[in-house]
Amino acid sequence: MPKGMFVDTSICTGCKACQVACKEWNALPHEPGHFRFDPVEKRPVAVNFTGDSYDNTGALGATDWRRVRFIEQFSEDRSRGRWLFSSDSCKHCNDAGCLNACPTGAIVRTGLGNVFIRQDVCIGCKYCIPSCPYGVISLSIATGTVHKCTLCNDRIHNGLGTACAKVCPTGSISFGEIAELRKAADTRLAQLKGLGYGEANIYGYKEAGGLNVFYLFLDRPQVYGQTESVVVPQRRLPVSSAVAIAGALALGGAALVSFRERGSRPEDGEEVKT
Amino acid sequence: MNPEVHIPGWEWYYVAMYFFIAGISAGAYFIGTLAELFGGERHREISRTGFYIAFPLILLTPPLLIADLGRPERFWHLLFYAKSGIPYMNFQSPLSVGSWALLLFGAMAFLSFLDNLVSEGKLQSAPFAKAYSRIPRKWYAVVGSIAGFFVAGYTGVILNVTARPFWVATDPLVGALFIASAASTGAAAIYLVMSWRKKLTDPGLPGFDRFDRLSKVLELVLAVALVLIAGKWAAPLLRGLNAVMFWGGAVVLGTLFPLAAGWYATRAVEGRMPPERLATVMAVLVLFGGALLRISLLQAGQVQ
Ligand code: SF4
Ligand code: SF4
Repeated sequence: MPKGMFVDTSICTGCKACQVACKEWNALPHEPGHFRFDPVEKRPVAVNFTGDSYDNTGALGATDWRRVRFIEQFSEDRSRGRWLFSSDSCKHCNDAGCLNACPTGAIVRTGLGNVFIRQDVCIGCKYCIPSCPYGVISLSIATGTVHKCTLCNDRIHNGLGTACAKVCPTGSISFGEIAELRKAADTRLAQLKGLGYGEANIYGYKEAGGLNVFYLFLDRPQVYGQTESVVVPQRRLPVSSAVAIAGALALGGAALVSFRERGSRPEDGEEVKT
Repeated sequence: MNPEVHIPGWEWYYVAMYFFIAGISAGAYFIGTLAELFGGERHREISRTGFYIAFPLILLTPPLLIADLGRPERFWHLLFYAKSGIPYMNFQSPLSVGSWALLLFGAMAFLSFLDNLVSEGKLQSAPFAKAYSRIPRKWYAVVGSIAGFFVAGYTGVILNVTARPFWVATDPLVGALFIASAASTGAAAIYLVMSWRKKLTDPGLPGFDRFDRLSKVLELVLAVALVLIAGKWAAPLLRGLNAVMFWGGAVVLGTLFPLAAGWYATRAVEGRMPPERLATVMAVLVLFGGALLRISLLQAGQVQ
């Protein structure tokens, strides 16, 4: 029975407890500090802030497996505004670009449907990094291998839920069986529509073969930084290969006309000894 | 197109150089084979030179490929599944299939290289000659050429089959472009080695010259088409150093200029071949352009 998470962004408060829980449970290294003591100024100076958002994580990666996105929309005079929050992570796609791309078999899908990177198999070729359509994976210089969210592989195979879902104080992240999560998502969507949220939608039923971590958004997915037309890279492989083969055939043809022309004409008075 | 897709961080001096050198090797090999298959004995010198080039060059490539890995000592996981030691191939991953193609190509290039040495009398009897000399030379040259086309092309397909916007936008042309470039750089390498070995009197040269021109035209067409189909996503290739490398290096110096020079020379000078000194300079430019083509297309996909 595949398991996953449903992220109801409509009730997320942007507290980042999920980020903290993820770092703690998975013992992920901290980021460089946000303040550095400046020996010249003789005081701490701010570094490593995004500078334009309360989101200072910026992107998912080898040490940030969860990231709360802040969508901060304000009018010019800041009299009107809207804050949207969305806790983001690896989506454990059913058609996973990363898994498809891996040449060593380091990325596997477990019986519970989560996509897991075997650290003892990965060679750090980095091919999975651009192959994930969501920008989830990155290389760790420390291990020479790539890392991403495991869906708390150790917890879920021992009857627990994910750490982020466990700690979420509003219930924005819930862990469970996909079928049940979808039921809950549909109910919540109907409720929100009834309340007048016409743009509300669920992201992840169809994308990349279905996402095991899917979302309820109040606005278009694009607003939350989620791409609306996902093409899993490997679905383009047949055409890509066919065109490369056509290129090779064109060269073969060029060789045929080039090398043949004089050598094979009897009137040139030469024997062809093939 | 999702600009949030991460860049892999492939270093151009390993990965683009791997694409480049593997391309020359594969190009020299398949030109050698095609010349002999279609052109017969009068092209024997060209095919011999191609086989002399292919094997030493392909030997240079695994270290480049391995040096870019985060865990170089585990490179063998590309061929064998680490958990079981059983040969492993992932058909959806051009990197995985390409690793096997590289191995197969290397093996065939080795056989052709040995065969060369024996037929030129430089080696009395090749090791394992008994095992493979019963198989006609052309058979493994054909197998090696198919693997060679694969090696030349999969390096481009690898880039296209990702989610990085520039590489998605240039899909599906990079593989074919790299194959055309493998042909033109392979031909340039063959020319340089033949001129160094003082074999430029070969009767096969006019045909070789024609093939070389056709491959450059194909390369040129594909390079321009690639920019056109990418539309606004071609921006990283049209700015700064990438633009200089792509337009100035790969397109102008690598294809346009040699084509024009060859055409001009055949008009101006009696006979069918451009003069030797000019052709040598052009061959060097083609190699240079081939390297810059790989670097610019690799780097344009890795602009933040
Ligand atoms: S979101 Fe990216 S890293 Fe996660 S399973 Fe999908 S392709 Fe892989
Ligand atoms: S970096 Fe590791 S997990 Fe990613 S594709 Fe390469 S071997 Fe597979």
